[in-house]
Order: sequence, then C-alpha cells, then structure tokens
Amino acid sequence: MAGISRRRFVQSSALTAALAGIAGFYGPWKHNQAYAQGKPIKLGLTNDASGQFGNSGRDDHRAIRMAIDEVNAKGGVLGRKIEWITADTESQPATGTRVAERFITREDCAVLIGALHSGVANAITQVANKHGTIYLNTNSSAPSEAGENCSRVKFVWDGNGTNFTKAAVRNAVQSIGKNWLLLTNDYVYGHSTAAATKAEVEAAGGRILDNMLVPQNTRDFTAYLLKVQQLRPDVVATAMGGDDNKALREQVTQLKLGDKPAWINNQQDWPDVWGAPDSLFGVFGTTWYHKLKLPGVDEFVRKWQAATRGTDAIPVPGNVSYNGYMATRELFRAIERAGSTNNIKIIQALENLKMPAADRLQHFDAYINPNTHQVQQTVYLARKNARPSDSTDHFDILSWSDPKAVEDTAAPAKCKLIPYEQVRTVDA
Amino acid sequence: MLDLVPHLLNGLTLGLLFALIALGFMLIVGLMEQINLAHGSLFALGAYIALQFLGPKPPLPPELAAQWLALPLGWRYGLALLIAPCVAGIAGIAVEVCMRRTYGKDPLYGLLLTFGAAMVIEEGIRLTWGSRDHVLPLPPEVSGGFIFHGLIWSTYRFYAAGIAAAAIGLVWLLIEKTRTGAIIKAGAHDSEMVRALGIDLSKLRLGVFVFGTMLAAFAGIILAPIWGIRPHMGVDAVIPAFLIIVLGGVGSFWGSVMAALLVGLAIGLTGAYASEWSLLSIYILLVAVVSVRARGLFGKKSLLEA
Amino acid sequence: MPHSANAARIVTPTMLVLWLALASAPLWIDAVGLYPYLGVEILIWSIYALAFNLVLGTSGLVSFGHGAYFGVGAYAFGLAQFNLSANLWICLGVATLAAGLAGLFVGLFISHRRGIYYAFMTIAFGQIFWTIAIKAYSLTGGEDGLLNIARLPADFGVVSFDISDNVGLYYFVLAVFVIVVAALWRLVHSPYGRVLAAIRQSETRAAHLGYPVWFYKLTVFALSAAISGLAGALFAMAQRAAFPDVMSVNLSGLVVMMTLVGGGLVSFWGPVIGVVTFLIARDVIGALTFAWMIYFGLLFMAIVLFRPEGIAGMARPLFARWR
Repeated sequence: MAGISRRRFVQSSALTAALAGIAGFYGPWKHNQAYAQGKPIKLGLTNDASGQFGNSGRDDHRAIRMAIDEVNAKGGVLGRKIEWITADTESQPATGTRVAERFITREDCAVLIGALHSGVANAITQVANKHGTIYLNTNSSAPSEAGENCSRVKFVWDGNGTNFTKAAVRNAVQSIGKNWLLLTNDYVYGHSTAAATKAEVEAAGGRILDNMLVPQNTRDFTAYLLKVQQLRPDVVATAMGGDDNKALREQVTQLKLGDKPAWINNQQDWPDVWGAPDSLFGVFGTTWYHKLKLPGVDEFVRKWQAATRGTDAIPVPGNVSYNGYMATRELFRAIERAGSTNNIKIIQALENLKMPAADRLQHFDAYINPNTHQVQQTVYLARKNARPSDSTDHFDILSWSDPKAVEDTAAPAKCKLIPYEQVRTVDA
Repeated sequence: MLDLVPHLLNGLTLGLLFALIALGFMLIVGLMEQINLAHGSLFALGAYIALQFLGPKPPLPPELAAQWLALPLGWRYGLALLIAPCVAGIAGIAVEVCMRRTYGKDPLYGLLLTFGAAMVIEEGIRLTWGSRDHVLPLPPEVSGGFIFHGLIWSTYRFYAAGIAAAAIGLVWLLIEKTRTGAIIKAGAHDSEMVRALGIDLSKLRLGVFVFGTMLAAFAGIILAPIWGIRPHMGVDAVIPAFLIIVLGGVGSFWGSVMAALLVGLAIGLTGAYASEWSLLSIYILLVAVVSVRARGLFGKKSLLEA
Repeated sequence: MPHSANAARIVTPTMLVLWLALASAPLWIDAVGLYPYLGVEILIWSIYALAFNLVLGTSGLVSFGHGAYFGVGAYAFGLAQFNLSANLWICLGVATLAAGLAGLFVGLFISHRRGIYYAFMTIAFGQIFWTIAIKAYSLTGGEDGLLNIARLPADFGVVSFDISDNVGLYYFVLAVFVIVVAALWRLVHSPYGRVLAAIRQSETRAAHLGYPVWFYKLTVFALSAAISGLAGALFAMAQRAAFPDVMSVNLSGLVVMMTLVGGGLVSFWGPVIGVVTFLIARDVIGALTFAWMIYFGLLFMAIVLFRPEGIAGMARPLFARWR
C-alpha cells in the first residue's frame, strides 16, 4: 500500500465503520413493532408505491394492512402475532427481485403479498420459487399469471382478461352485433386478452373486422378513433392497460363516442377510476363493487373507512383493495387450517379452497383451481352510473357471472406446477 | 383515397399540438443554447396549477375565491390559461437562477441540472397533489364533438390546434419583429455586443427562460384535457419535444415547426394504417433524417454540438 | 484524467484494497444491515457504470440509451441458455458479442454525429430497442419477462463452482469485476485511451491531428456496449430473468446519474463510487420515505452546481496521495 499513511487509513476505516453503524441503526427497512409473545409470523408486503402502478399499489397495501390488523386484534394466527415489513417495488421488475431477495433471505418473511405489474409479480415469483416461499399475487390480472407463468408457490387472486372476456362477449354477439373490432395494447396482456376475445366472438358466430394494435405509451388515439368510425363495427372490444387506457377513456368520452359503436372494455381498476369517473364509457368488468346489494358489504365499507381515516386513501374500497384484503384473510385462515406455517401444508390448505359467496361478499361461491392456483370468482359487468346515489357511486352493475361459466379453460394446459417434493420446504 | 383525408387532417392537428408542446423547449434551445430537461415537469406543473384554479378550492383568499367560483367555467378556464403559466413561471425563475452557475461551461451541465430539477418538480407534484389521476374540467362551449365528412371529431382538439397555431405565430412575431426579440436574438449570438450596448444579459436570459417555462406550462394546460393529468405526464411531453428539436435542427424555428408537423403526420398516418408502428415511426424518422443530415432538417451550427 | 505512476501498472494499490474489501463483504454485509444480493447488484451496476463511463468520462460522449445494450446482454444470455447451450462461458460470450454488435450497429449511425444530435440519437435507438423487447414477446416474454434463466455453474474443466446461491454468485461477479476493472484501467491508459481523451478535449482538434475520430467513437461505443451487455448477462443471472424495463429511458438515465454523482468525469473510480452510494442510499432512504427521489434529485442538482467533479472529486484532497 504505497503512498497511504497508516493514520489516513485508520481514519477512513473509522468512517466506514461509522457509516455502517448508522445504516444498521436506521434500518434500512421499515419495521412495525413486534409485540408478540412467542415468535411472530412475518409477512413481506411487496407493493408498488411509485411508478405507473403506484396509485393502485398503495390501495392494495392499505387493504392488506387492514386484514393484518384485524387478525392481530383477534389474537393473531395459531396464537402468534402477525408482523409485516414493506418496501416500494416501484413498478419495476428489477426492484421486485431485490425486495423479494431482501424479504426472504434477510427478513425471514414466511409469505410475500402484493402485486400490480405482471413483470414485478414474475420477478418476485422467480425469487419465491427458488426459496419455496409462498407468494400471493393480489392484483396482477395478466392471464399468463395463471397460465404459462404459474407456480406452485404462487396464488393469483384477481380475475383476468380471459374471465372478463368470457363474461362479456358471448352475450354481446347475440344482443348487439356480429362485427367486432379489437383495439389491443401491443404487449403480452393485450395480446392474450385479444386472443381470448377473438375465440369467444368466433365461437358465438361473430367475426373480427380488424385487430388494431396500439403501442404502449400511446397518448393520442384520434387516428384509431377515426379508423373505428370508418370501419363501422357493431362492437369495439378493447384490451388496454395503464396510462394508455386512461388517455383512451378521456378521448372517447370527449368525442361522446362511447355509445355507438358499443364498447366492451376489460377490467377498470377502482383507483384508476376514482380520479376520473366521468371518463368511464361502454361496458367494463370488475370483481367487486362497494354498493353490491349483499349482506356484509356495508360493514366492510365501514371497516375500510375506520381503518383509513385520516389518510389520503380513497374513501371506499374497490376491486384492488378487495383482492388484497381477501387474499390476506384467506392466507390466515389457511394457516389456521393447516395448523402450521409449513409452506407445503399452507399450499395444500389453499389449493382446494372453497369460499362461500356470503363470506366473499360476492354473488357466487368462489374457489381456487388447484391446477392453476387462480381464484375463480364472480365477474361483474358494469357501466358508468347515470343515476349515482352518492359521490362514490360511479358504477352501474349490469350483471354477474358464475365463476364456472367464465373460467379460463385453456389455462390448465399451459400451467405446469412442479410436484411438492421439488418445492423447498420452509417453516416460519 | 378519400379514406386518407381524415388521417392527414388528424396528423396536421396532432403536429400543431406537438409544436405547442415543443415551443418553450425550442425557445430555450434556440436563444440560450441550453437543453431544458425540466420542460416536461414544468408542462405538468402548468396543468396541475390550472387544475387547482379550476377545482372546488382555488388558491385564493376566501372572498375572492367565492367571486371566482361564481364566474362561468368558460371564463375561469380562459383566465386559468393566463394565470397558471405565470405561477409556473416562478418555478422557472428558480431553475434559471440555479442554472446560472453552468453558463459558459459544457452544455452538458445545464442538461444534467435540469434533469435533476425535473425529478424534484415531479416528486413535488406527487407530494402536493398525490399520485392519482385528475381530469381538467372543460367548459361546455369547447367540449364534445362535431360531425365533418360523416365522422365525429373532437371540438376541443381543433380549438387546441388553433391555439397552438396562434401561439406559434405570436412567438415568431415576438422574436423576429419586435425590438425585444432582436435584442434576445443578438444576446444569444453575440453576448459581448449586447453587454456593450448596456443591456443586462442575465436579466435577458432570465426573461427568456421564464417565457419558455410559461409556454411549457401553457402547453400542459392545453394538452391536459386530451391526455389527462398525472404526475409523470411530463415524460410524455419532454421526449417528443426533444425529438422535434433534434429533427428540426437546433436554432431553426420553422425547422422545428416543420419537424413537429412531420411527427404528427407520422403518428397519425401510421396509427391508421400500421398502428403497431406508430410510436416507433417517429424514432425511425429521426434516425433516417439525422443519418443523412448532420444537423437535422434545418439546423445551424451551435454550441450544443461541441 | 490525471496521469500518475500508477497509470502504467496493471494492478494499482487502490484496486488491491478495493478487491480485498469486496472479497470480505459476505462476512460483514449482514452485520451492517444489508444482504448479499445487494452486493451482487452493486457489483453488476458497477461493471455497467464503468463500461458506460468509457463513453461518457473517457471520451466525452453522452449516451442516454445505454440500457439498450445492458438489456440486449440480458436477453441474449437467456436465449443462448435456452436455445444454444447451457454453458456459462458460451452464454456470457454470446451476450457480450450480441450487445457489442448492437453497439457497433448503432455506432455506425451515430459516430459522425456530435453533441445534442449524438445524445438524442442514442435515446432514439434506446427507445427502438426497448419497443422491440416489448413487441417481440414470443421471443422475450414482453413485459412478463424472459423467465427461468438459470445461474449456470462456473465450470473450469478440472473444477466447477456452483453459483446458484447469492454468495456464490457474488464471488463470481466479483471475479468478473476484477477482470473488467483491470482491463479498462489498461485501456484507458493505453495509446488508444489517450486518443479518446483527446477526443473528449476537442473532437475538432483530434481530427486535425489526423486521428480518424469517427472510428474511435465507433469502436469505443461498441466496446462499451459489449461490456454493458456482459453486465446485463450477469444481471439476468441475478434476477433469474430478463425484463424490458432495464432498457427504458428512466433506467438509462439512472446510470448517467450514478456515474456523474460518483465523479465519472474526473476519476476512473467515479462510476463505482456513484453506484455504491446510490444503491445503498436507495435502500436506506427509500425505506424511510416514499418521496426519496425528491431528496436524491436535490442532491444531484447540488452536485452538478457545486461539485461537478462528483464525490470522487470532493474526496480527492482527502486521498491526494492514494490512487
């Protein structure tokens, strides 16, 4: 070490040590207070808090926290308290990997929960697979999540593009018309949803006039909207996501083009609707609505309001927070049923889960398909509410479909779950 | 063939909107030889400030707020178009004051500084207004659609394109036909001479930068009803603006306007006939043009290629 | 970059100290509240930033689209593994070559361009590559990612190392880092590197001296792209997947920021300092507040304004005799 004096070397290593001490003291991660006797069960909440899905991710996060607080108030799970830790996955797969690695290898999280962006969900799944850690994908609705990218350790809680398509298309071909135009975001989610729509339309005797591919990040849809008018379809079916979908909504409603032709849209997430309810148009899907006329719904809304009081949360829960809450609650019940935090036992307790309609606050019983790990649930079709009962009443629910009727029948063939013996066993 | 006409018309209106988006950026590049990467965030800031003025809680003293809310939406909208850019101009002053330290250095530093400023402004927006989407209320006079040649067109879009054309014309007149414009242009090309004439160059630069900021904010308000308002909308504006300047050539006003129209036509026509390529088409257009012409369509020699 | 007696060496004291510190990291990284995977990422981003700085700091060329080559490397690694041969060396070679060829191709278009035109052409090509990665989803998996990329064993014939766990991968990436650092140090201080420095000073003057400036710009860009691709391949192993997001303008901008904050313009080590600072700060501050980007943005502005030479430049008086 020519040229470096000993004193200076000592100084700089002292500096390093001091910095390291600060890092150790402050975190680097958010922890909640551990207040349990005995070893708590720790969950890693992998929510997008910034980036394109940051807004929905925060809604997801609040609902998961609500379910945790509830179970802790009742004395925890298996007599153990539930602890949680969170970090922003930034709507970026690279961050998802890093956060998942941290939560599993350093924080010893028993289960990871939370997702919006399918790339982030897959990045987390890759890490979870390796370690055998259970991962609940709460809100990524890409059909591939329960198809080619399924996993033995992952459970998918949202309805996907195929489910909504099945609920909407067949009926519309009969009642509205046979000539369909597809407007599809040019990425995997768009394509798989469009393929499902095409199959359904053709099975019902309709025909596809054209499939217009829209590049991701498109902000001006006038060219497409003019083309839609020139082609004169009976129905336009869209498979758009993220900000593109929001810009499309603005421009269609601006033109008052939302009534003719008829539009069939995919799921519109509640946090995306909340800021811009006037731009809703056509028929669209959802898995849940806070004004469903079912017992327990009002109580759930009140619980949400109590839990989020004083925050900038949306004042009523929507499909995203609903999925986050239900996934977390069912996880706790599965652990109780399994009587253990052994990952294989929890997986088995979830795999054949049946959830009664009354308990799910939906119209039909829901169940998890053991071959794809996707929750099969009631799918609702809605349109913009012309006669809202209050300032939150944006949807007019038109119909609800039995999960069996809208199940993605092609998914099990694409999904290969590895046998239990190949899953690394973990116990928290 | 007749099918093509609506798409040409759409491409031209889109081109005018792109020119409006790029106008403030163009001005600062052309007259100050600085790349303002905060352009997009200032664009977004304009939209948010207008949103604040047009929403239920305008940032005014209570008595004034009541009077303001009593005005019809059309009036408020028109006034917000003037007031919001002025408010956003304050952010422009802050950025320019920081930027002074980079004058005379490699233009890279100005570019990096404004890159940092863009991050700060965007995060500031997120903290102030939250991360969710908003819609700018539009007066009924300019919203809705009209039928032309059997097709429904957006009324607002044509108003917006008209405003864009007017803004372009006015800025051009200001630079080319007024004494202030002459001084500004002279200051850009020969700062020694302008200083010798007893004109305060730093005030001049501040003025140009703030005017560029105000144009960015103005464009943000005009585009908000079409794109919607969200914190990262700035990125959607700054990249096309940058592209248009490079395609048109640094220092050429009409080169940039023409580039904007070309970009609009490229997106409009590919959108209709080869929809999946519509966004890629503008990058391919740029690569094709700049591969053949070193300084874009009509660029002049500038510090920015040192 | 100032010359010193060390310029001629292959291994300098700084390198030795750094390598020793890094080699011992798995022993203390948990104790300071961090974790081995973060170490893997820091090393990979350091390789990437060093490669990037060959263009920015050494040659004075601004590329805002370097994520493209990082991403090409990641995808090429995965695709080679699935379709060609599941051999680590072959896959790393394919990734480096693919990214280098992509850089060479882009270099042909941009090497005659200067300043803002050069910078924006790199953005345009970056956007083109990013769009292709999303569009060609049957090849790349689109936004879902190219999944199930394995951490292949490092097979040296006589002995083979399993690098599937994070610590094993860390040591493998460290070995690559050591080789890249040594090679880049030699390159920067070679006659070739001195021509690049002359181009950085003034392209016009270098041209008048008779150097084929565009040829140097082309080769350095391709070389930088190739090493970025190597880093991308390592990243694909770390993530066990490849995603298009690393090719976006945002993440390309991130490497520019990290390099500058660290002091890439004045110091060979600037990019490494920047990466270490940024990634650790993101872990620490990012967990304390969701609005951490505002603080980082302010810090970045302050550095550009007051210390454009970056952290390395600030620390220089302290380490005046140590390089």
